[in-house]
Amino acid sequence: MIKSVAITSGILLTVLIVGCSKSESIQIAGSTTILPVVSKAAEQFKMKHAGVRIIVNAGGSGVGINQLGEGTIDVGMASRDMTEAETNRYPGVHFVTHTIGRDAVVPVVSSEVFEAGVKALTLEQIAKIYKGEIQNWQEVSGPDKEILVVDKEQSRGTRHVFMEVVLGDEEAQAPGADLVLGSNNEEQTAIAQSDAAIGMLSNAWMNEEVKGLNIIMMDHSVVQPTLENIVSGSFPITRGLLLITRGQPREDVKRFIDFILSEEGQQIVEEAGYVRIQ
Amino acid sequence: MSRELANGIFSAVTWIAMGLCGLILIFLLAVMIWNGIRAVDFEFLFTASRNFGAGGGIFYQMIGSLLLILFAALICFPLALGTAIFKSEYLKSARVQRLCAVLVYGLNGVPSVIFGIFGLVFFVNVLGTGISWFVGSIILAMMILPTVVLATYHSINSIPEIYRESALALGLNKWQVIAKVLLPQGIGGAITGLFLGLARAVGETAPIMFIATAFTGVEIPGSFFEPVTALPTHILALAQQAINEQALQNAWGASFVLICLVTVFSALGLWSRKKLKTVGLR
Amino acid sequence: MSVSSKFGRVYVVGSTFISATLILVIILFLAINSWEAIRQSGLRLFTLEWNPSKEKFGILPMIYGSAAITIISLGIALPLGISAAICTSEILPSRFRLYVKSLLELLAGIPSIIYGLIGIVFLSIWVERAFDLQSGRTIFTGGLLLAVMVLPTIVTLSDDALHNVPQKYREAAKSLGFYRYEVIKNAVLPIAKTDIIGAALLALGRVLGETMAVMLVIGGIDRIPGSFFNVLVPGQTMTSKLGREIAETAFGSLHFSAMIFIGLILLVFVLLITMIALTFFYNPEHRLYE
Repeated sequence: MIKSVAITSGILLTVLIVGCSKSESIQIAGSTTILPVVSKAAEQFKMKHAGVRIIVNAGGSGVGINQLGEGTIDVGMASRDMTEAETNRYPGVHFVTHTIGRDAVVPVVSSEVFEAGVKALTLEQIAKIYKGEIQNWQEVSGPDKEILVVDKEQSRGTRHVFMEVVLGDEEAQAPGADLVLGSNNEEQTAIAQSDAAIGMLSNAWMNEEVKGLNIIMMDHSVVQPTLENIVSGSFPITRGLLLITRGQPREDVKRFIDFILSEEGQQIVEEAGYVRIQ
Repeated sequence: MSRELANGIFSAVTWIAMGLCGLILIFLLAVMIWNGIRAVDFEFLFTASRNFGAGGGIFYQMIGSLLLILFAALICFPLALGTAIFKSEYLKSARVQRLCAVLVYGLNGVPSVIFGIFGLVFFVNVLGTGISWFVGSIILAMMILPTVVLATYHSINSIPEIYRESALALGLNKWQVIAKVLLPQGIGGAITGLFLGLARAVGETAPIMFIATAFTGVEIPGSFFEPVTALPTHILALAQQAINEQALQNAWGASFVLICLVTVFSALGLWSRKKLKTVGLR
Repeated sequence: MSVSSKFGRVYVVGSTFISATLILVIILFLAINSWEAIRQSGLRLFTLEWNPSKEKFGILPMIYGSAAITIISLGIALPLGISAAICTSEILPSRFRLYVKSLLELLAGIPSIIYGLIGIVFLSIWVERAFDLQSGRTIFTGGLLLAVMVLPTIVTLSDDALHNVPQKYREAAKSLGFYRYEVIKNAVLPIAKTDIIGAALLALGRVLGETMAVMLVIGGIDRIPGSFFNVLVPGQTMTSKLGREIAETAFGSLHFSAMIFIGLILLVFVLLITMIALTFFYNPEHRLYE
């Protein structure tokens, strides 16, 4: 019996030693907006460079930045800029941003609301909805239904960008919020399930059930959330899609980022519904 | 109210309660099986997932889940065995026994999300292992420890004294008695407990979602310190896109496979409980 | 002592030491990491507003949510489950017992994430339609879902408790001319009472600690409903908050510490309840297989 114990522990030990080496894989995590692009790009990149392992996780822009700062991952995906608090939290780290595309954060509504006539709102109206001052769609020429205000978790990139423009403060509270959800997927599901919801999503996540509103600007012009308007900058809520690294990326990571910045990679960005970098 | 009437009402109430429960539970099973079976086919089981899980299958998720619980078993088993032996053979004082029982079984009541957080703080942050499937296995092992300890303790403790006495009379020392006489008989209980523990562990999401799993790009992990993808966390991701037909279908399929795994392990546990009973319990 | 005996002794003592101290380590870790939040916010942790960017960490809404969900789910599942158990144990012909028990065991083992899936796909939609709400993601939905989830466990445990009452009590009561209902009420239930209470407490512990099913259907709003007993609105429980936000906090920050504090409170509550439950049980050992 001693013999079998010794043999098993010998095997386990070897396995342990072999397994303890951290293999070279690229670990990426963060924004669910950028996730589809990076996943797809990873798939294609792996087909060209066999043996490369790219592991992609969700969690939101905040999680991506945190894990990057702590060194758990190699690349953080963020659909917003880092906040001052975040940069201060990791004083020893020099964050390098690589923009891989642009998109817009669009105020979206359930398709029933859209079809009932609410196709455009001013930023002020949207602000009031999120502050809880407007509670019924009637008040904005819509059907007589209570507005289901869908908010996102505070660290999410989409929310930061949206709140900065709409409420003037990227970490503003939204007292009128009825639901607080996480990923873009979850938000899209909730808005589609409801018939009176409003929320904030990337333009690539709009579909038949989830319609994007046009924004009525101060000068009464109406701006649609189209790709042209994002490129030209006339749509007021746009942002860069960022990949962040600690210092300059190492060799294999750099190759992957370059791939995304290349023609092939940028095509993936466009196919996902975003705008390529100019 | 006449006693007869009261009896009748009481009977009716309990029958209705049972009927209601039955309906609810049958509905649950029907939904899961009906939706699940339609979603599972050969391709589903053996393809990798794509597109947030809405496309493709669950091959690597199954492998990830099995890997996690395999190592959870490997880590938990020796620990539980040692603890159960100690409690059964070495501990004499009733008070210490009680204390030990409280400490070990207390672990059973810890919510699974706390295990996940503990793993996150202790392993991922303090020890700096990063997101690692091996850490996930360690946490799952911690979670099922009480179950396995209990089962093993039960089976070793119930071996009649005569076995120990005869062995000692033959000149074996204490450890030899344990290793050569008690363990071979008691191991059945340990295996039973292990199967039942694994049935629970394979379905857990919260312990592993912070510390062991990743979303895409993971296939077979290359080292101990990489993430895997697992069935329960995959279902979580899919549930968040429930409006997408394809994602929902995959969610049912993955759920069905998960339930099958749980059932298999539970069945193995029950089977081994019958087959491997110790002499004392027969 | 021979070598193998020494090795054996080290092995068993070591394993037991590890197993027994695990729970203490967990509690210790949670306590240490929440110390920062306790030190800085102190009693302000028990306020109503949760806003990390303004360093407000009031956890009362989460406690309310957890309490509300527990009361709703047990309020539904306990009467229903215990009545059903009375039926299966006392009234149902015994040839059905095997099938019923197996079915219940199967259902009790279904992973909670699947209940979460069912909650999103079915239950929240039904609640929304039934009560004509904006959204079916409410505290009530969470309570209802958990009631369904914990039902098999309650039925099984109560059925065991009742079944364990020796037949002689029933026979004695019957021979006194009692009707079946009176037999159960006066002879069987009082004896099974402690076991049933133990089962209820275990279910309580399980409900309090449930994360996945709740997280998906509760709505995630850190607010106590405007009118205190209105549970048809979205809310937040301790477990749901932890599940959603812990990954977003930076390790070591005050936000992180406050989250760990939530975990500590949750753990303490659940452990207390589990301990009390164990003292109620006549034979606690059997049921840890759940």
